[in-house]
Amino acid sequence: MNQGGTTDTLTTLGTNSVEKYPVIDPSQAHASSYYASTSSAPISWTTHGANNYPRENGTVSTSTYHHDQQAELTSRSVQDGLNGAPVVSTSTSGAVNVQHDYNSYSTYQNTDPYGYGNTGYASYYNNYQQQTSQPYQPPVGAYQNSGAPYQPLSSFQNTGSYAGSASYSSTYYNPADYQTAGGYQSGVYSNQTNYWQEGQYATYSSQYPNYTPDSTTLYSSTPSAASSQYAHHYKQWADYYNQTQTEVSCAPGTENVSVSGAPSLSSVPGGYPAANSQASAPYITSWRPESTSSELPAAQSGTVNGGVHDGHWKPAPAVFQNQNLNSVQHVQMPLETSSTYESFQNQQNHTHSQGHNLLYTATHQVPQSYQSSLQTVSQIAPQLDSRRASGKLQIPTNPRIASNLGLGFPKVEKDISASTAASKPAYISVSLTKPNEKVPSEDAADSILKPGMFPKSLCGYVERALARCKGDAQMVASQGVMKEIIMKATADGTLHTRDWDTEPLFPLPNADSANQEHILFSTPISSLPKSRSPSRRSKSRWEPISEEKVADKPPAAAAREPVKYGFWNKQHYTVGKTENKADNWSNTKFSLPEQKSSNKNSFRPAKKQRLVDGLSAADNGDESSESDKEQTLTAYYSAAVALADSPEERKRRESRSKRFEKGHGNRAEINHFRPKSAGAGAGNLYTRRASALVHSRNFEDSGTKAVEDIDWDALTVKGTSQEIEKRYLRLTSAPDPATVRPEEVLEKALLMVQNSEKNYLYKCDQLKSIRQDLTVQHICNELTVKVYETHARLAIEVGDLPEFNQCQSQLKTLYAEGIRGCHLEFAAYNLLCVILHSNNNRDLLSVMSRLSADARKNDAVKHALAVRSAVTSGNYVLFFRLYKTAPNLSTLLMDLYVEKMRYAAVKCMSRSYRPTIPVAYISQVLGFGNASPTTEASDEKERDGVEECAEWLKAHGACLSNDNAGEMLLDTKVSMSSLYMPEPEDAVSHGDANLAVDDFLARNPV
Amino acid sequence: MAGAYMMSMGEAHRRILEYLNRFSDAVSTQDGKSLSRLLSISSDSHHLLSLVDALNTFQDANRLIRQSEEYSQYADILLPIFRALQSYRLRNLVESYQAFEKASNAFIQEFRNWDSAWALEALYVLAYEIRVLAEKADIELASNGKTPEKLKGAGSLLMKVFSTLAGKGPKRVGALYVTCQLFKTYFKLGTVHLCRSVIRSIETARIFDFEEFPVRDKVTYMYYTGRLEVYNENFPAADHKLSYALSHCDARKEANIRMILKYLIPVKLSIGILPHAQLLENYNLNEYSNIVLALKRGDLRLLRHALQEHEDRFLRSGVYLVLEKLELQVYQRLLKKIHIIQKQKDPNKAHQIKLEIIVKAMKWLEMDMDVDEVECIMSILIYKNLVKGYFAHKSKVVVLSKQDPFPKLNGKPVSS
Repeated sequence: MNQGGTTDTLTTLGTNSVEKYPVIDPSQAHASSYYASTSSAPISWTTHGANNYPRENGTVSTSTYHHDQQAELTSRSVQDGLNGAPVVSTSTSGAVNVQHDYNSYSTYQNTDPYGYGNTGYASYYNNYQQQTSQPYQPPVGAYQNSGAPYQPLSSFQNTGSYAGSASYSSTYYNPADYQTAGGYQSGVYSNQTNYWQEGQYATYSSQYPNYTPDSTTLYSSTPSAASSQYAHHYKQWADYYNQTQTEVSCAPGTENVSVSGAPSLSSVPGGYPAANSQASAPYITSWRPESTSSELPAAQSGTVNGGVHDGHWKPAPAVFQNQNLNSVQHVQMPLETSSTYESFQNQQNHTHSQGHNLLYTATHQVPQSYQSSLQTVSQIAPQLDSRRASGKLQIPTNPRIASNLGLGFPKVEKDISASTAASKPAYISVSLTKPNEKVPSEDAADSILKPGMFPKSLCGYVERALARCKGDAQMVASQGVMKEIIMKATADGTLHTRDWDTEPLFPLPNADSANQEHILFSTPISSLPKSRSPSRRSKSRWEPISEEKVADKPPAAAAREPVKYGFWNKQHYTVGKTENKADNWSNTKFSLPEQKSSNKNSFRPAKKQRLVDGLSAADNGDESSESDKEQTLTAYYSAAVALADSPEERKRRESRSKRFEKGHGNRAEINHFRPKSAGAGAGNLYTRRASALVHSRNFEDSGTKAVEDIDWDALTVKGTSQEIEKRYLRLTSAPDPATVRPEEVLEKALLMVQNSEKNYLYKCDQLKSIRQDLTVQHICNELTVKVYETHARLAIEVGDLPEFNQCQSQLKTLYAEGIRGCHLEFAAYNLLCVILHSNNNRDLLSVMSRLSADARKNDAVKHALAVRSAVTSGNYVLFFRLYKTAPNLSTLLMDLYVEKMRYAAVKCMSRSYRPTIPVAYISQVLGFGNASPTTEASDEKERDGVEECAEWLKAHGACLSNDNAGEMLLDTKVSMSSLYMPEPEDAVSHGDANLAVDDFLARNPV
Repeated sequence: MAGAYMMSMGEAHRRILEYLNRFSDAVSTQDGKSLSRLLSISSDSHHLLSLVDALNTFQDANRLIRQSEEYSQYADILLPIFRALQSYRLRNLVESYQAFEKASNAFIQEFRNWDSAWALEALYVLAYEIRVLAEKADIELASNGKTPEKLKGAGSLLMKVFSTLAGKGPKRVGALYVTCQLFKTYFKLGTVHLCRSVIRSIETARIFDFEEFPVRDKVTYMYYTGRLEVYNENFPAADHKLSYALSHCDARKEANIRMILKYLIPVKLSIGILPHAQLLENYNLNEYSNIVLALKRGDLRLLRHALQEHEDRFLRSGVYLVLEKLELQVYQRLLKKIHIIQKQKDPNKAHQIKLEIIVKAMKWLEMDMDVDEVECIMSILIYKNLVKGYFAHKSKVVVLSKQDPFPKLNGKPVSS
């Protein structure tokens, strides 16, 4: 059996090495060499090449390529060391083993599979050895010395059910996996650092390429055995699965797999997806027992989760067996057809993303694993063609699995993008693996459903769709709907052209349709009563109470669909993110205790958040609908909620969401992320920011991508609230889309404020909330300008300078972006503001020099410039003339400077005039009386002005006297020394009278 | 690669090795001058140009550096320098700056370890290149519609360089050069307020006498701090600093002298000192000649025209507001002229100038001002002590003091 396998592999290897060689030979033409490899997917390789390429920075030889990779990782000193070590240890293998991935890769090409087994493994074990702490070395050495030691291992590993299938040469490899897992247990962890985990991960990943050829060949020779084994596995796995239901690390995708995989025709593939979810489990298991036994119990401190934990981990031996199974399954996976490979790939990704989540340092490893998986794909690709026939049987089922597996992708992607750029390409290549497309002879429906053909946006779409499902029925129904959608898209050729990111989700199918789908697709669903939708399970296991709560309002939750999927998606998103952040921060230097706690954290908070968010979202929804029932819109909304299940409503909702999308058509690709980020808790937001930062740092480190390539817009939100009135509340967490109003509602809100009769305080509050909603949605258009202009004008009207300055600075940037508005009016205001209030020559100069010739012709600007010159020269006569003729709201801005100007003027006059000045003159010159002298009835007003002026002069310490004719005069000589600036009457201790609410309200009557 | 003639592999190899050799030799012999030559990538020197060609031909300079212990210890400097050079040659300035920034950071690291200040020369070049490359990169960024941010980054990098020098010890003598590069950066960025901390560090340090800095740096420093004082309208201080710069500036550097005069002249005008017409002509500062003339004649119209004519230039250089304030001196001159004429007519009543006469004079000058405004200006003149006397509102007469009615400024600024 093995012999046959060998030859087979040899041939495939031969072809592969020819085809693949260019990949390893990445000179400047790296990218093109990817294209050249026929068996692998052009698309995937392109992306890979594109992403990889910049990293190489024009290096020529393989060695440099390696080196560059190393350089990229230098920020992680630990990894550097690791990379260095393998080079030494593997030099005997004759390959350019700089990194694990390459190491396995190159050996691959140079040797036959068995030779490879030895050399590759030797190198691999060497790596392992170096990475692990001392206690590990002896056993490792033992393994390394010969091929034989592996055999015993396989027996160790294949305990129980596996003995039967031990005939597989694949078992041979399993020890590697196994070994490491065992290693975890053996208690060395006290001095384990992430190096060690990396080693583990390296093992894991490099294993795959090694396995595949062998197992593939095996498959061809013993297909029946394989399938039976799968069944076997599956059973075992099912048990295990039940035990480990609480594992949230099984992303919804994988769990779906179990559901959907089972329904498919044979139970064989059922084992498969199981393995997928399992794949992540082994890591957990291997870690958890330790932690529970040593320090974790304390940390768990009697929480429900802790209890579950313990219960979960008690059957450790069993779990380990399962692990064995899983690993075996991994190996066997390649036996299946192309779709299997994909799922295998997916699984790998999956696994790694999860491992990544669990273990802080997996980051470097992730790229490795991806790369190796890449190899696997392309190497096996040629085989696929020939194997098609045999694989056909499973094809109808596999696509489903794979598509479900695809669910894991976005998360994986996130992980990767946050961790290293290098991993990204690998991911993409995996998701787009093309071998399927090369076999168009397959029947249409099947090939349609082949996951490799799905654009990754579609995977995201599917994920989103499935994520909002509650329960199996819905899940299955959704899957049915999705299949239809995808089929349709394929039929009209829009599968790849359509923007799945922005595609509105279909309404949740109700139970009836689900049942229909049931009949259509899945008989065995009932045979898997225990596998549930991820949401249910996690809830019931982790937070029973909250589950009850959620269960209380299933209709509401279902109806409030946007809310729902908003937070659901976000959760996937965040789980990965949280760990990434930690991951990057920790920078591979964590000691175990820390890891443990963080492992825990990475699970539990994420989950809690999920629930808490879910609850709060639901609660918010309820609250809002209750409290605002008076409001017609809300009433409508709640009516809509009631109607949610009617088909018309569904349609309407769909069209509504489409409309939203169109409104932001230019940000189409962002929309996909919006719902995800929506409603995330504060922690999540920061996490995302942090990861974004790390992201950018990584990019900078690798020197390949600029910061501007980061999709910062992914942090924006798209609102769904229909309320026109909203109180301003400073955000302390990420905005919840349910409370954010979309643009058209904001427009109404602005109109409402403009026409409102209420006082400034209310308007300011409303405008601020509008501004906030605009900001969180990244709306930057004429509406934004209008809002800020409105607010700025209002602020001027009441003399709220701080608020005005805020608006003004926003307007400056908005105008600079070329958005139209009352540009010149505000240029004048700006000028006035600088002159009158900041009194900074440099600012003034820069503002003036920035005025265009056109602007200078504008009356308002001219006026402002005249005011400036009057102020700088101290020409009070001119100032008060301009004060009276000011356009727009300039008067109000000047108002704020009048007091100062008057005081300076009177000081000046009392110094230069002798012996007296008539108060009437002062009143006239200094603009008392509030009216221009030309108006009728000026006498009366003038008299008022004189009185007012006299009052003012007295208040400022001037000495007044009456002459014989009864005219009031200012005695300049006396006043010269007695003038003073009185404390402003409305002064408040904090310096800003505007903050005194009472006063504020008094000044601004409704 | 673009345009580079193909040079043989061996030749390329040789040239790269030569550069590496020169680098390590310069470091080992502590030859700051040769080292600085190797770093000045924007100089387009022959050596560096041929090195770029060599690098384009022989792509694996990386290996060459790593090969030898001698070079590989400076790999962090050399590799980015090579990249910066190559990108610079391709006019890929943003990348060039980024690479150079990396090299600079590595160099600063090394420089810290060198006890003596032998590499100051090289550090100067480095600081200069940082700024110049960042400016060029920003131009490139702006032309691509991106936000120019490199100069900002250069500012913080230079600050880092400054901090390696600002302490005690022999390296402090280089601090002023970096300060000047920082000034240039900040003035260009418009973030002059950031200069303050650097100035404080230079001026408050008692351990090091300002006079010990190189003359070149002192002149530049005084020029920039003088400009800052012009912004603040602190004319005596500005006068002092700019005069220092002028007197120490190399007389052959006309462009530099012109730059100094550009600020010094408005400052001197503000304190009542007028320049020779010849000086303006010599240094091509004709934009000031009409202003000087207006001051001499008391011709408000001429002053306003001159200001309007060169408004852009004055606004950009930041002297507009200073020049605008000369108006008061022009009024003073005008009043003085009227006074002289009146004295010729009737010495007894000369000290009383009727407001209507001044209004008439304004009309002649085509300045549209009514009585109130002129009255206000007279009031201001008296208040600012440009005219001694008082104003009688009832009779609308300016009554001048019999003794020195128009006091000269004599180097003092107009009181505010």
